[in-house]
Amino acid sequence: MDSARPRTRTRDARAQSPVESSSDELAAGSNHQDTERRRASWTAQKNFTPQRPNHQERLYRESDSPDELAVDADEYWRSSRSRRSPSPINRPADSSSNEQSHGESDALSEDRMHNGDETDVPMHDNMSDRSPTPVPSVEAPHKPERLNYKEKFVLRGHLRSVSAVQFSPDCSMIASGGADAAIKVWDTLTGQLIYTFEGHLAGISTLAWSPDGQWIASGSDDKTIRFWNVNTGRAHTKTFEGHHNYVYQIAFAPKGNILVSGSYDEAVFIWDVRRARVMRSLPAHSDPVAGIDVVHDGTLIVSCALDGLVRVWDTHSGQCLRTLVHEDNPPATCVKFSPNGKYILAWTLDGCVRMWNYVESRVIKTFQGHVNKKYSLSGCFGYYGPSDVKHNPPLAFAVSGSEDGAILCWDIVSKKILQRIEGHTDVVVGVHTGKLKHGTRMLVSCGLDKTVRVWEEARESQCQDGVP
Amino acid sequence: MNLSLIDPFVLAQDYPDTLTEKLRSGHATCLRFNQTGDYLASGRADGTVVIFDIETNGVARKLQGHTRQIQSLSWSRDGRYLLTSSQDWKCILWDLEDGSRVRTVRFEAPVYIAELHPFNHLLFVASLFEDQPVLVDVSSPKPVKRTLPSAPLRPQPTNGEEVDPAVAAKQAAQDAKHSTCVTIFTAFGNHIIAGTSKGWINIIETETCMTIHSMRLCNGVVILARLANNGRDLLVNSSDRVIRTVLMPDLSQLGIDFEPSAIKLQVEHKFQDVVNRLSWNHVTFSSTGEFVTATTFMNPDIYVWERSHGSLVKILEGPREELGVVEWHPSRPMVVACGLESGCLYTWSIVSPQKWSALAPDFGEVEENVEYVEREDEFDIHPAEQVHQRRLDLEDEEPDVVTLDHAENVVGAEQAGAFGLPVLLDISDSESGEDIIAVGPGTMRRRTPGAGANGDTDKDSRAGANGVARGAGRNRRR
Repeated sequence: MDSARPRTRTRDARAQSPVESSSDELAAGSNHQDTERRRASWTAQKNFTPQRPNHQERLYRESDSPDELAVDADEYWRSSRSRRSPSPINRPADSSSNEQSHGESDALSEDRMHNGDETDVPMHDNMSDRSPTPVPSVEAPHKPERLNYKEKFVLRGHLRSVSAVQFSPDCSMIASGGADAAIKVWDTLTGQLIYTFEGHLAGISTLAWSPDGQWIASGSDDKTIRFWNVNTGRAHTKTFEGHHNYVYQIAFAPKGNILVSGSYDEAVFIWDVRRARVMRSLPAHSDPVAGIDVVHDGTLIVSCALDGLVRVWDTHSGQCLRTLVHEDNPPATCVKFSPNGKYILAWTLDGCVRMWNYVESRVIKTFQGHVNKKYSLSGCFGYYGPSDVKHNPPLAFAVSGSEDGAILCWDIVSKKILQRIEGHTDVVVGVHTGKLKHGTRMLVSCGLDKTVRVWEEARESQCQDGVP
Repeated sequence: MNLSLIDPFVLAQDYPDTLTEKLRSGHATCLRFNQTGDYLASGRADGTVVIFDIETNGVARKLQGHTRQIQSLSWSRDGRYLLTSSQDWKCILWDLEDGSRVRTVRFEAPVYIAELHPFNHLLFVASLFEDQPVLVDVSSPKPVKRTLPSAPLRPQPTNGEEVDPAVAAKQAAQDAKHSTCVTIFTAFGNHIIAGTSKGWINIIETETCMTIHSMRLCNGVVILARLANNGRDLLVNSSDRVIRTVLMPDLSQLGIDFEPSAIKLQVEHKFQDVVNRLSWNHVTFSSTGEFVTATTFMNPDIYVWERSHGSLVKILEGPREELGVVEWHPSRPMVVACGLESGCLYTWSIVSPQKWSALAPDFGEVEENVEYVEREDEFDIHPAEQVHQRRLDLEDEEPDVVTLDHAENVVGAEQAGAFGLPVLLDISDSESGEDIIAVGPGTMRRRTPGAGANGDTDKDSRAGANGVARGAGRNRRR
């Protein structure tokens, strides 16, 4: 069965223009080449062979040069010593099996620490945050080694693949949309279906909750964005029309007055939500715009496209401020700002999720382990660890679906896989994290197996069951 | 968040230079930005208050309650409440959460200017036409009005000394001629600065409603007074065609080591056009207080002076009509002014060119040619996996993806807990002045009451505005 969403996803991959789409050409900016390439990318859809450009000569890019990174690491290592601070937790509280399993390496690292740092209080040293060394990294002992999300609900109801899922801002509801052109709203606590919104004429690729939690916006292959009111259960009278091709991903600005959409027509539209009108159209990319996100204060927009470019825009002026490109130029399918807006997480079809420092234009983390060759998977950031213990930096993870049916959670700092959540029987396309009012952290995922699955984090006490 | 990426040369420019936008909703007569600068309230000639969203340039809310021209607008600190005063002798305090009226206060005279207390949105001060100014407490549904003195403070007779009745009578007669035209609160709201028709500035204590200091600033009527964001610089426009900036003492120190008798107001600059002898419609400080901006009488220009030297730095031009109220955005180099004839809002800001190097990361913009020096290992060939692995090994930072930089932007940090105006998706958009009909050149007439009162007819009139506006206008004129 060729459902709309997977079709979209497959098309993504095929739309990847093979060797031609290097950013050098884009910079040259010749219109002729551009259109040529576009034509090539569209004809390439017919018979696509996964072929990735291997630009060795791009190694000269100074931002990625290994030497510079090495210098940074040294500097960092030096500065991190002064930054270490005693942790507020007591020693007994920490004597878990988890720690003991690391006892040896801890002792070792403690010795090493003392050599370089005489001001440190030995009692607290064990609990202090440590940066991983360039050589085998040593985890701070109190840092949870793994996550423990357990399946809570399997929400069935969609007739075809589910392509997008999101918690409401207060996490009380879940919205999901898929190839069956329907949006379903579920109760997070009971797993019951609250609403089914139907009205789109083609499959839904993306949806977004408005920040006040009243509206769900959905972008569809029928080229429109529609709004649905969760309080009344009705559709908004105005349809957001303007895109010339499938709407691929949408995102709200934090105030809810602006909606940003990326589309297969290669443009990014900034919409005035109140008037349902395009405020500004960004000539963003030369391939379908697959991912879009808005930073927490609304001043920046990030977009990514199958041409492999990630672009950062100024919301107010509509100007491109930065372009990020990895040297292999793999098609980028999803982008997300970090919660504090300092980093960008980008999914690419070479099976990597990269975290960029966009100010310095360099990759600082590469998360691997999932399968991603064909579909535009999405994910987001999440928090973990006990909320009463302060960590520096705070514990956070990146989560993504995978084409082998798993959900992967990586620790941001160590890049280790914290949990590999199994359950879906087919590709997991969308994952979203949330936190219930009383503090329980939740995950929701959706995929080609037509289900939406809700996962709940088990209590910390249950987490500490040692290393298997 | 975008500051780190924006061209520092663009950020360094602190006054606008280009006319960028033209907003229209009815005939606007006054303007005011909220504290954070994301909303602009505009009062219209028909008594409607329209709140524009600066980010989208769309109408965020419409408030209907006044029946005559709006005179002044004042936002509460958190941006949730808006006080409007009008020529219909009323002040209304609006709650923007749902657009309801918190309080409606009636006066015995038209209101010049009403301003909210900077911290207490249930207390405001209003200057009235040919009447004494009042301090109004609306914490209870029945407003409590306290009259403020207009007469300047006279030196108190020392004990035992008899006051000559003739002198006293003369003074009383003089005092009676004073009427207050402007009242504003100081930064902390402990004092009120009042400007009188005789050119005096009175400082009145809010708690006691007593004048603690008076000073004769000029001969003309004080038309407008404004405090800069730092609370220490006062800007006064008076009818003698001179704009004055006045340095204020720190009034919050009063009673600690600072006596009212020691208060001294010092004129810093006088801005005037000595050649054309222009008089000024409206004046305002820039967000930092660094610049002073004024619209000119019978002239479509906006003058921008900088305060360190007191020199004119820019004359903003654009529209062909005389401009009334001018306001400066609280954080951006952006100026909004409303046209007197058309009631349009004109916006000046900075237009920065797109840096093409931002679009192409492999290129940089250089001033002159730079010889490229090849690195030793630049074209060495390594196996792809090895390169990849080495790169992964080098990713050993400890990025903090959660913690916000609060220091980067004070306004942003303040905003975190601030009130967010709800986004209404069903608001009627009114680009045409649906309530005012141009009857002839320069003359307007209000549409018959009832029409355009609710949202639906608003929308209808807008739909017909483009095609049949002329016909409809003629019908109504008949």
